[in-house]
Amino acid sequence: MSTGRHEGQRLDTRTTWRRPPVLPILVIWAVLTVLLLLFAPVPARLMGRPASPTMQEIETTVTWFTGLSAPVAALVWAILLYSVFRWRHRGPQPPPEDGSGRRDNRRVFTIWVLGSAVLCLFLLVWGLVVIAPRTSEANPAQEPILVDVTGQQWAWSFTYPDEGNKSATELYLPVGQTVAFRVTSKDVIHSFWLVQLGIKVDANPGETTVATVRPTQIGTFQLRCAELCGLYHSYMQTTVHVVSVADYEAWAQSPAEAHS
Amino acid sequence: MTTSVTAAPSPPVAPVTAGGIMRHLNVVTGIVMGVLLATATWWVTSSTFPVLDEGDHKDDAVTILTLVAWVIGFLIGVGAFVGPARWLLGRDLTVEDEHYLAGKDAGVARYFRFTTDHKVVGMQYLVTTMVLFGFGGTLAMLIRTNLITPGSRFVDPATYNSLVGIHGITMIIATIIMVSGPFGNFILPIMIGARDMAFPRLNALSFWLLFAAVPVLISSLFLGGISTGWSAYAPLSDQANRGMDAFLVTIVTFAISTGVAGMNITTTAVRMRARGMTWSRTPIFVFGTVASVALGLVAFPMFEVAMIELGMDRGMGAGFYDPSIGGSGWLYANLFWLMGHPEVYVILLPAIVALMEITPVFTRKPLFSFTSAILGIMGIAGLSLFVWAHHMYVAGWAPVLGGPFMVTTELISIPTGLLFLVLLGTLWRGRVWMRLPVMAVYALLWNFTIGGITGIYLSDIPVDQAMHGSMFVTAHFHYTLMGAGLTGAMGALAYWFPKMTGRMLHEKAGAIGFWVAQVGFNVTFMGMFAVGLAGQPRRVADPGTYFRVGNLISSIGAYTIMLGMLTFLGAIIYSWRAGSVASASPWGARTLEWQTPTPVPLENFEVLPVVTQDFYGYGEDGHRAAAGAPAPGTPGGPGAPPPQGPDAPPQRVEVGAP
Repeated sequence: MSTGRHEGQRLDTRTTWRRPPVLPILVIWAVLTVLLLLFAPVPARLMGRPASPTMQEIETTVTWFTGLSAPVAALVWAILLYSVFRWRHRGPQPPPEDGSGRRDNRRVFTIWVLGSAVLCLFLLVWGLVVIAPRTSEANPAQEPILVDVTGQQWAWSFTYPDEGNKSATELYLPVGQTVAFRVTSKDVIHSFWLVQLGIKVDANPGETTVATVRPTQIGTFQLRCAELCGLYHSYMQTTVHVVSVADYEAWAQSPAEAHS
Repeated sequence: MTTSVTAAPSPPVAPVTAGGIMRHLNVVTGIVMGVLLATATWWVTSSTFPVLDEGDHKDDAVTILTLVAWVIGFLIGVGAFVGPARWLLGRDLTVEDEHYLAGKDAGVARYFRFTTDHKVVGMQYLVTTMVLFGFGGTLAMLIRTNLITPGSRFVDPATYNSLVGIHGITMIIATIIMVSGPFGNFILPIMIGARDMAFPRLNALSFWLLFAAVPVLISSLFLGGISTGWSAYAPLSDQANRGMDAFLVTIVTFAISTGVAGMNITTTAVRMRARGMTWSRTPIFVFGTVASVALGLVAFPMFEVAMIELGMDRGMGAGFYDPSIGGSGWLYANLFWLMGHPEVYVILLPAIVALMEITPVFTRKPLFSFTSAILGIMGIAGLSLFVWAHHMYVAGWAPVLGGPFMVTTELISIPTGLLFLVLLGTLWRGRVWMRLPVMAVYALLWNFTIGGITGIYLSDIPVDQAMHGSMFVTAHFHYTLMGAGLTGAMGALAYWFPKMTGRMLHEKAGAIGFWVAQVGFNVTFMGMFAVGLAGQPRRVADPGTYFRVGNLISSIGAYTIMLGMLTFLGAIIYSWRAGSVASASPWGARTLEWQTPTPVPLENFEVLPVVTQDFYGYGEDGHRAAAGAPAPGTPGGPGAPPPQGPDAPPQRVEVGAP
């Protein structure tokens, strides 16, 4: 195959890697990769400070995925950029000569398929390994604190079976202890989303679903409904208070708040 | 071809007078008949149906039956059943009737009646698609306007939910038909060297079913709107107002329409290819479109069943999805996503293969790795049937299946990567003749890279816990369906516009509109990724002050899209009416549709072509010189009409070897 035809007719004796267009595209690719790698922490920053190991894991995964996709995206965009600036033919007529008639390149095909297979395999292993400890988190040495969560149009309510079925409309959790939520709904499907704790599970009518989390940050966080549930879906949210164990005990002993 | 086939076996019949009821039917009689039948049905059902004690099923039953009556009445009135009815009566259509049905010498009127010519159907689809995009886009602008400031009361929450639902389903319908409707009908039969589709009457039926569904969809606006989002999750959809009845009738009608069209396009591509057009010589556009509609044949019946069950829930209290009487919302969710994920690729594949058809023409190179393209299309179509439950990772349904569905989902990245390889490989070292159609390739590769990578986050189960149901998902699928899908369709329109309308699309205005829309698109959905990561759920009328900046950016981007799209639309309308006249083959492309005259005659080819090699043989030995692109309007271009009349010599058109 004749190469370098568009870059000049002279015979080029350099190896493939050092000839245009490969070398300039490699340079653009490297620059774009670096830029995208600099961008890689941004998504996790947007997700906010993690308030549980679960969310910590999620943000780590997001950053790693962004970093690993950086060279992939950079490759596509480097070829596009080079093509726009160097391979462009201007004018009202098509170029007078056809391009190379080459229809295939077995080596490129093989590298491409192997490369994408390796990346895919990495994703699979990463995903499956990260799931494994999370499912075992449901059976920790210490008994989790149980919270029964009920969604109904358009409010959340919580019952604490361990605290004499104390009920509440804002969620109180002790820091550093595993909590198991048993989530259900009275009417339609809602979705129980503890934003900064990285937990989400649907609240289904007639079914109970379970999610566990161990909050590690004291503070106030958001619980939002993540499944369109009717008129006031956007207002179906409440506050999550993660407090010290002592404060939690004190709250648990206090008389139940007026239930609406 | 069709005429001779149907005419030959019919017994001699008394010559039909130049009349018959079919000559008096058109879209107006269709609407009249539809309204009459709907009114009659409404009157009969609402006066005879009993009111049961529990629930208010009567209203829903009456609404559903009335809307179904509209669809049936419209089809009767437009003449969809004339052919079968006459066949049943033993008076099959004559050649004259078939010519009438095909719209021979009928001028503009043929676009407003039950016309079987595939080119008329293609144009009808094109205009309908653009109208749907205009409608859905307007709703999108209302949505974004409401989200400019937190606490905005531009629309109230009930209206907002309806806007979201109707925007969603309108755009889903529009994107499903945007390539396989206009180009699959107009271009594909010519591209394979056929005189028409395999089943011309079914072709017209598929369009008029779609046409009948549009007023039903719009009627939902007056029946309380589609308040559930287009996913219509049960049991929320069980309790929704009567707009839901309009929604389900729309879906069932549309699913029948796509089923009919899918069978037709598949049969046409399998059975009607020109002599010598082996599978390896068949253009990639045919493969992708057939894969798309065949995938739809498998997927859409799921939605149809889901909607029929929903109709039975609402109209009869059947309780398929009502947990209080033994139903399950998970049943609905499974049926919905069994359709919902393949549907994404039903939308994407034709748009991508249209660009695969375009890229070789403008780089004057063969399509790179035809095998990869086929493997990619088949891999995607096959895998896409086995990934649906990744939409249900957090539903609580069968958590143990999360792992297997994560595997199938992530495997799709491999065939998708092959489609990237084909496009990039074709661009590689190609002198790119930078015209509007090929610009879409660049925009698509940019957008689809982002859409694909963000999909990888969502495929990971732990990450999906944070992102499911958030604006991140909304941004992701807009990057795939709009950034890749609609972008590809715009490229396809720019490419085939000269063949379909006989005029060139105004390049400068079109390109300005296109790129303004692309910039606006990236601004809009980058902003949406940000608010999604920060924790804004989807479909919220009032996202709260926390997301103020991201939402403002998204809304500014949305207005930019609107400006770009209106400019593009202006270019289309102007060019269609007054653009410069196009030659038969303005791009110097080799596929068969460019070898017929423009405007394309009734049965496409004077002499059916014989194919001796594939259509990507650019730059091969002996054919270095590019096929010249004659100046617009020049007679005698590659697609000049063959000599006509009784004295014209019999000819054998060999294509592929210029």
